Amino acid sequence: MGADLSLRNTADRRTSRRRPARPQLIKIATITVLLLFVLFGFPQLLSLYYIDTMTQVAVYSMVTLALGVLVGWVGLVSLGQVAVLAIGAWVAARLLFATTQPYPVVLLEAGLITMVAGVLIGLPALRLRGLYLALITLMFAGAITVVLATLNFPNGGHGFTGYNGSLVHIPPIRRPSIASSDPAYFRYSVIVAILMFLLVLAHTKTKPGRAWAAIRQSEPAALAAGINTTLYKLWAFALASFITGVAGGVLAGAVHYLYSIGFPTQDSITLLAVTLMGGVYSMWGAVVAALLYQFLPALLNNWGVSADWLTILFGLGVLQVLTTAPAGLAIEIVEEAHPPPASRLQNNLTRMGHCLAPWLSSLVSCPKPNTSS
Amino acid sequence: MPSWSDFEPFIVSGLALGGVYALSGVGLVVLYRATGVLYLAFGAVGAMGALTAWSLGQAGAPGWLTWLVCIAVAAAITLAYGVLFGPALAKRDPLVKAVATIGLTLILYGLMDLLWTTSGGEARSLTLPSDNGGFSVGQIQVNWTQVIALGAGVVLTVGTGLFLRFTKLGTAMRAMANDREITATLGVPVRRVEAAAWLGCGVLAGIAGLLLADLVALDATTLTFLVISSLAAVLIARLRSITITFVAAIVIGLLHDLLTPITSLTNYRDMTPFVLAAAALLVMPRSQVMAQSREEA
Repeated sequence: MGADLSLRNTADRRTSRRRPARPQLIKIATITVLLLFVLFGFPQLLSLYYIDTMTQVAVYSMVTLALGVLVGWVGLVSLGQVAVLAIGAWVAARLLFATTQPYPVVLLEAGLITMVAGVLIGLPALRLRGLYLALITLMFAGAITVVLATLNFPNGGHGFTGYNGSLVHIPPIRRPSIASSDPAYFRYSVIVAILMFLLVLAHTKTKPGRAWAAIRQSEPAALAAGINTTLYKLWAFALASFITGVAGGVLAGAVHYLYSIGFPTQDSITLLAVTLMGGVYSMWGAVVAALLYQFLPALLNNWGVSADWLTILFGLGVLQVLTTAPAGLAIEIVEEAHPPPASRLQNNLTRMGHCLAPWLSSLVSCPKPNTSS
Repeated sequence: MPSWSDFEPFIVSGLALGGVYALSGVGLVVLYRATGVLYLAFGAVGAMGALTAWSLGQAGAPGWLTWLVCIAVAAAITLAYGVLFGPALAKRDPLVKAVATIGLTLILYGLMDLLWTTSGGEARSLTLPSDNGGFSVGQIQVNWTQVIALGAGVVLTVGTGLFLRFTKLGTAMRAMANDREITATLGVPVRRVEAAAWLGCGVLAGIAGLLLADLVALDATTLTFLVISSLAAVLIARLRSITITFVAAIVIGLLHDLLTPITSLTNYRDMTPFVLAAAALLVMPRSQVMAQSREEA
């Protein structure tokens, strides 16, 4: 079985090295034109209000992308992604006030520090089943809200927290010198977002992507195939935290002033809702989710409609997505609707999992658990 | 470091809080064991009930009616959700079922924010008549609400334990926790048993909402996310034992309140559930969890 698998892997790799086929070229060209339009057309066409909104969309598309990787590729659910975003924003703001480092360096550092924090949170839960991770991240979101309320976001003060409650003139968080105006910063955010999308693409097309797909399909089967499931789950969690941390850094510059009330616990669950509605199997889903999350409220705000209607809509959306499972929108795998790059490997693993699962579980569950309570 | 007498009042309030967390936790565990659903909307339905009760009270309804309405609203929403979405999601992964209840949470949350808007700065409160009476143990003042809260936690934990062990319905719920399909084959009306579990959980959510609205605050956000404390207790009990849930809930409530007089930690006391649950996860062996997942597969 092992030899068979590795043969298939090399075959996959060979096909992927070939020149992209015509439909793929068309796809790439379409995306390029679209991105150029977003980068150069939007700042010309939109009012300042909507340019700011679209900057937020770019920021949150990174967050929903990260959450989409967790949910769609690995089958992990995080209910605390906004808390992770807050960590990234906090670290970036602190670094931007304390140092004169160039902005991209700060973004990178914010991403890496957030990654370490995310790994520390995820580590205990990732050894266990998905429900535990969902719960612990929800509690984490609640805990971070508490910490932020006490610590506050840096506002140019001194010391570790960088917060000085008695400051009268709070300096804004700086932006990169090449992108100090709103339209320029919008372009800057979009470019950072594109880089993050490419980073995810590089993962999903290679070994980690295949390992994640196998884990999502069946963890015991992936374990049996020799995949270090804890390592790859941790990897996915680290990647998601990194991207979210970078997004936090971009957010810090976008808004200039950060407040702890801007990252409430409920936003984390709303974020999961929009990510599921947008679709977790395609990267376009992340963009759709970010539009739902940031653009729709801005639009409704402009029309004077309460954002609460949107919350209700997102709740209904989650239920609809999960119960009727439209193609590519739900957590569970619809093989026909979404053949990911590793589908053949996955099929093999599933088949193998069906054969091995009873044997494996008899191996891991020596004492019959007491189920009387 | 504060002296012992500073801690004394917080022992009572902590035990009361722990009692409510315990009864919420027991409701969550029983529903999870019977239906496989971890009901994340538990706090939200309680909040909905409490806010409805508040509105009725403002309109001049007598106290006992508002309490009944609070419990009835929570129970009705929970039962409706269970009957509508329970069967549709019955065969899905527990994670999917839990995430679906987030949909309900968001709907309720949006509704509550629309109907009882918080932006006006209007502070609402729900007080039970049991707040006024009480007694003192040594130097500590204890009011009846706190007694009721801890008492409800104890009584419901013991009661649920007995119910699961000795009644026909309880036996059916335990059977379904083991294997839904086989239980159905043996002639147990699984949907009716599930509906009973939903209803019971909803009643508990209503009681918890009423007590927490009095003990903590009548606020949609606070009440919705207080479920996190009960979830921590449930997680420490590995989603199965109601006895461990009870003990963990009491410890969480007690520790949370005992941190209040300590100046350096008082701001961080709301992190108690997260810290305890994370510590519990670290010592939880992987093999047991894998065995559990086989059972649920």
